[in-house]
Amino acid sequence: MADTLIRPPADAPPPVEERRRPPRVRKTPVTYLLRFIVTAYLFFLVAWPVSLVVTHTFDNGWESIRSLLEDPDMVVALQLSAYVAVWSVLINTVFGVGMSLLLVRYEFPGKRLLNSLLDLPLSVSPIVVGLALVLVYGGRNGWFGPTLAGWGFDVIFSTPGIIMATTFVALPLMIRELVPVLEEIGIEQEQAAQSLGASGFQRFVRITLPSIKWGITYGVVLTLARSLGEFGAVKVVSGNVLGQTRTATLAVEEKYLNFDQQGAYATAFLLAMVSVACIVVVGIIRPKNNH
Amino acid sequence: MIWFSALVLIPLAAVVVTAIDGGWDVFWTTITNGQTAAAIKLTVFTAAGVTAVNVVMGPLIAWVLVRDRFWGKSVLEVLIDIPFALPTIVAGLVLLSLYGTDSPIGIDIANQRPAVFLAFLFVTLPFVVRMVQPVLEELELDVEEAAASLGASRFTTFRRIILPSLTPAITAGAALSFARGVSEYGSLVLLSGNLPFKTEVTSVRILSSIENDNVAGAAAVATVLLAISLAVIVVLDLIQRRVAARG
Amino acid sequence: MSIEVTGLNKKFGDFVALDDVNVTIPTGQLTALLGPSGGGKSTLLRIIAGLEKADTGSVTIEGVEATHLPAQKRNVGFVFQHYAVFKHMTVAKNVAFGLEIRKRPKDEIEHRVQELLKLVHLSQFAHRLPSQLSGGQRQRMALARALAVEPSVLLLDEPFGALDAKVRKELRDWLRRLHDDVHVTTVFVTHDQEEALEVADEIVVINEGRVEQVGTPDQLYDEPANDFVMSFLGEVTHLGGVSLRPHDIELEASPQLAGSVEGTVSRMVRIGFEVRLTVLTVDGDEVSVVVTRAHARAHGIEEGSTVWLTPAAGATVVPRMAAAV
Repeated sequence: MADTLIRPPADAPPPVEERRRPPRVRKTPVTYLLRFIVTAYLFFLVAWPVSLVVTHTFDNGWESIRSLLEDPDMVVALQLSAYVAVWSVLINTVFGVGMSLLLVRYEFPGKRLLNSLLDLPLSVSPIVVGLALVLVYGGRNGWFGPTLAGWGFDVIFSTPGIIMATTFVALPLMIRELVPVLEEIGIEQEQAAQSLGASGFQRFVRITLPSIKWGITYGVVLTLARSLGEFGAVKVVSGNVLGQTRTATLAVEEKYLNFDQQGAYATAFLLAMVSVACIVVVGIIRPKNNH
Repeated sequence: MIWFSALVLIPLAAVVVTAIDGGWDVFWTTITNGQTAAAIKLTVFTAAGVTAVNVVMGPLIAWVLVRDRFWGKSVLEVLIDIPFALPTIVAGLVLLSLYGTDSPIGIDIANQRPAVFLAFLFVTLPFVVRMVQPVLEELELDVEEAAASLGASRFTTFRRIILPSLTPAITAGAALSFARGVSEYGSLVLLSGNLPFKTEVTSVRILSSIENDNVAGAAAVATVLLAISLAVIVVLDLIQRRVAARG
Repeated sequence: MSIEVTGLNKKFGDFVALDDVNVTIPTGQLTALLGPSGGGKSTLLRIIAGLEKADTGSVTIEGVEATHLPAQKRNVGFVFQHYAVFKHMTVAKNVAFGLEIRKRPKDEIEHRVQELLKLVHLSQFAHRLPSQLSGGQRQRMALARALAVEPSVLLLDEPFGALDAKVRKELRDWLRRLHDDVHVTTVFVTHDQEEALEVADEIVVINEGRVEQVGTPDQLYDEPANDFVMSFLGEVTHLGGVSLRPHDIELEASPQLAGSVEGTVSRMVRIGFEVRLTVLTVDGDEVSVVVTRAHARAHGIEEGSTVWLTPAAGATVVPRMAAAV
């Protein structure tokens, strides 16, 4: 990196005085004005609406949550969401680690292109994702769909399709977490391990994996949040069959459109709880990560 | 690699191929069809407007988060991430609770155009903030002090030193925010009512084509969205390269 | 007198950075603020520049009361340890910045920038970005940028601290020569006594927020005010009741001088032309002595030899204090 030029030499004493100097915060009227604008903006855009969902959920105390959990269709939907999310996290973790290593450690033609295309799932509309999967894996006239169906393996309008759609949209999250970490740790440690006689597998398990474990954890949490919450792509590929391929997010829409607002708010509340929990977990992990 | 191709590249290629299959004429008629064109126009213009708001508000929020210190700042940090983590359908419901029919403050924009704007604003909130924040954190105080000792006022320092350093991050955030806006679907389902010519966005248009078994039509519109996504990625790549050159 | 600092106090929380500091820095000279890290010298420099506010005390620059002037209005040039380059501007633009702020006419700016880049030997890099320069080049650019506004004083905060040893030495010589050409009142902070002794006209030794001594390099080296200054400016050893420099000890193979102390050579290291000896005296002291290679050979000294030590005539000697640094 270009920074090596300006990095202080090892023998230079640490700039003690600089560290003792606390960051200066000059309070001017502008400071307070900006603080006020930002707080108000976030309050009206995020905080208040979110808190309303919480209060709506508890309009009747725990009643709405209870009735939700007693509804067998809803239980199936929640289970399906969890099941899909777990699979998506597993797949994205395994392939995410593999892809990240590939991107950081190896040179191959088209690497830059691949690197850029990796961001596609984040910026493509979920509906387009769903459509794309239907076109390829659709049971009736997709590219591979009929063949797979011939083997008795339905993708679209069944669970594998939902898992694929979810994995697709959450794909870049793990890789984007791991690539910078891998770039930063470099390969010196692994080379040291190699010189000490460690095999490729041992190096991976004993050197690489421990040093990227926080990156993986962070990636898992993000992937989980994204997977649980995916709606558009799942809607296209799932068929939304009650009790079979209806996920929790699809249930929110349906309940709301069927004027079951309480149920919709309660389901939304459960999903929101999970995602807020994910943010908090990430917030706790992050400081440890950059010690 | 194969896995990535099977999951991402082949399906996306299928979209484009299906769109082209029908020939240029079909493609063109589909996307210039009144309702579709209106949807595309609405989506692109609203996304652009929202991006403009984010370009102003994003750096402002990032500035307050990095430079200011006050009680409750960590709460704001969490608030920024909520739109990213929240399932989009829930996001729609969340906004509906304050700005819908039962609005406690009497603002009902459900099923109207501002609802689309609001939904986009909500889901794109984190992008510019989160791109600018780390850059702002790494800006050395030294550099600002250097400008001050050369006689620059605080405003000049901001305009000539800080802002140019943030520009790549702001542009990148804006690109992401635009892409996200254009492709948004989930949060609009409940909020906007999806009224043709009024609040129907491109994603919804594609979905209704799929539901009507008009796969070619859906693919044509989807290709337009894909092209926008690709354009954004190209922009991001260019920015990254330029920043890398700056060191 | 160019810079007058009176009764300056500064605290960071509980940490006392400056404790009633009074210094006068003469016009047109190159003055070093020398001291250990965390001793307050950078804080003093930053207060002079207006980048930090003192709790109490006053600063006068060229006769102008500057205590409450913001940095923008002090007309000082400041050079930072880590260069503080404007990354998005070319080298020429960086140098032009202060002049553009002052709304000087375009052709004047261009002319002045060229002149300065020539002065710091960066003319061929005018249109590069700072990231394409080495550390030493960046610091020269930062110096040109500070000089561009014709500051009444030039302040440098550990300017060579982030550079490697060789570049540091080159830039040090170069700064001395530059100062001889430009003659702007210059104050630089350093923790490297060799740097201060070699470059500065005058040195202010600062430790734990207080001024320990002010003087020319020779004065400081020859007449240190106390044990701290003496030990900070060079190696110190103890013989009998005094502190002195290892090369200021006469070493003989037989007791020839009155008052010499007997000892045994316990360790001997040769570095080029000089020989460093550790001598255990009969008094129980462990004394470091430096002699030339020729001297050691002439007296047939080796490990285990018995020798006699005497402070050399004209040696700098300071009574030994309890807790020498």
